[in-house]
Amino acid sequence: MKELHFALYAIKKNIQSSAELRTSFLMNIVGMSINNTAFIILWGFFVKSVGVIGGWTVADIIGLQGFAALCFGIVFSAGAGIRKLAEYTASGAFDRFMLSPKNLLVRIATSSFGVSALGDIVFGIVCLGIYTFLIQATIQQILLIVLLVAISTMVFLSAAIVIYSTSFFFTDATSVTGSLFELFLTPSLFHGGAFQGAMRFIFTFAIPSLLIGALPVEIVRDISLGKLLLVSVLATFWFIVSINIFKRAVKRYESSNFMTFGN
Amino acid sequence: MKEIRLAIKILKTLVKDRIQYPDRLVVDTIGIIARCGILLILYSYVFKLSNGAINGTTFLFAAWSIFFYFSFSVLRLRDISREIMKDIQTGNVEVLLSKPISYLSYRMWWQVGSGIYSFVVITLLAVVTLFFSIGLPSTMTISIFLPTLLLTFFCGVILSLFLYTMVGLLSFWIEDINPVFWIVDKAVMILGGSYLPVALFPAFMFKIALWSPFGASQFVTHTVYKTWQTNWYQLVGIQLFWIVLLGLVVYFMFESAKKKVSVNGG
Repeated sequence: MKELHFALYAIKKNIQSSAELRTSFLMNIVGMSINNTAFIILWGFFVKSVGVIGGWTVADIIGLQGFAALCFGIVFSAGAGIRKLAEYTASGAFDRFMLSPKNLLVRIATSSFGVSALGDIVFGIVCLGIYTFLIQATIQQILLIVLLVAISTMVFLSAAIVIYSTSFFFTDATSVTGSLFELFLTPSLFHGGAFQGAMRFIFTFAIPSLLIGALPVEIVRDISLGKLLLVSVLATFWFIVSINIFKRAVKRYESSNFMTFGN
Repeated sequence: MKEIRLAIKILKTLVKDRIQYPDRLVVDTIGIIARCGILLILYSYVFKLSNGAINGTTFLFAAWSIFFYFSFSVLRLRDISREIMKDIQTGNVEVLLSKPISYLSYRMWWQVGSGIYSFVVITLLAVVTLFFSIGLPSTMTISIFLPTLLLTFFCGVILSLFLYTMVGLLSFWIEDINPVFWIVDKAVMILGGSYLPVALFPAFMFKIALWSPFGASQFVTHTVYKTWQTNWYQLVGIQLFWIVLLGLVVYFMFESAKKKVSVNGG
């Protein structure tokens, strides 16, 4: 509870700080929302040209982009510090987090705020609103969407923790973490119906890309409790694994002794 | 002559740097696998479902077209916008402007140099992989293919540099160019034929791709189709038109921007 209170306080201060540059703040949010529309246009035209694949319509594409953008936005707005882990470890700035009496992961995550990710949140909410309208969702489906946003965000956070924990294994891991993150995120934005067979298996179990968008959309569409159970179990599994990996990875950290006090 | 010497020096230095520190090559390789590789696997499945052809195009043509887009993107010419923004935000632009070289040509050559090593290595490896895995379309074996591909490639490089330089130069007027950059970049992504090959574009979208600078900067993706043999000169003409126009815009923007630079000392 104390940690949550601290996290909320840090997020509030980060937002206040970012909002000082008002024009830039608003432009980032609007710009990112427009930017994300590109994927809907692309995959929308794909469905128009190719037809329905795996039962996926344009509405499902909108739902997929909504889930993915919302997860991304929630994790990388409030917890943008996770993305800077490679930078912190390479520069020695990580020392100050180790010395902090707060929870290490919470302290790192809330050390930075991603303004543009707020645009992802806005975009995600709008998309899921449109999706709900297009599929004429029942109360049951709306509740499922809310639940699945929470589960998907947990998976996204876990994946981000695992990926950025590799920062402790390389001298300068910025490039490595960037590549691994791209390998995770890019497939999550692709047309979910095109993932079949081995590809679906790999991107569900080995790299959890489909857990943050494609599978939630299919669960809402088909009201599939079996898939909901699978996603929930995998989300819990990834969360436990990510925390363990982070704890083990931190033990590898050696202070660079750069005397980087404060931010 | 001085300009050419500078260009060669920048290119040689950056290629040597990239060979010495191959991180960027690893990043670009994983990037192209994550985007292009997975996309091609998905498309092969989609074409199979559609009995081998969509809009009269087969997987072979679509795959090479998509590959050309991603191969071109390895050059990372778009990063010039952020490099210019960084120069302006850090004040580095003052130092660079006071040197006896053209700032913009220095930045452009730097951008080409920083991506060329990854581009050559990845493109060669990927071409061999694609050739042995899916084969070569007949349109890529005719005599005019290679010369016209190189011509449209060079025009595409110049056009991309001008397009993204324009975005970068906006940093002299607005504090954060990222929102503008995202919009321009996504316009290039959509109209260039990245995730959706140009052959699958609806008619109106194809027209926008043809006549806008965003689509024109990626005309390399058109070279694999049969229509290229008959209308390549028209497409290269469009590219040349945009190069002249955007070149003039960049020139006047830069002249106007230079007047805004104030040296704060320190």
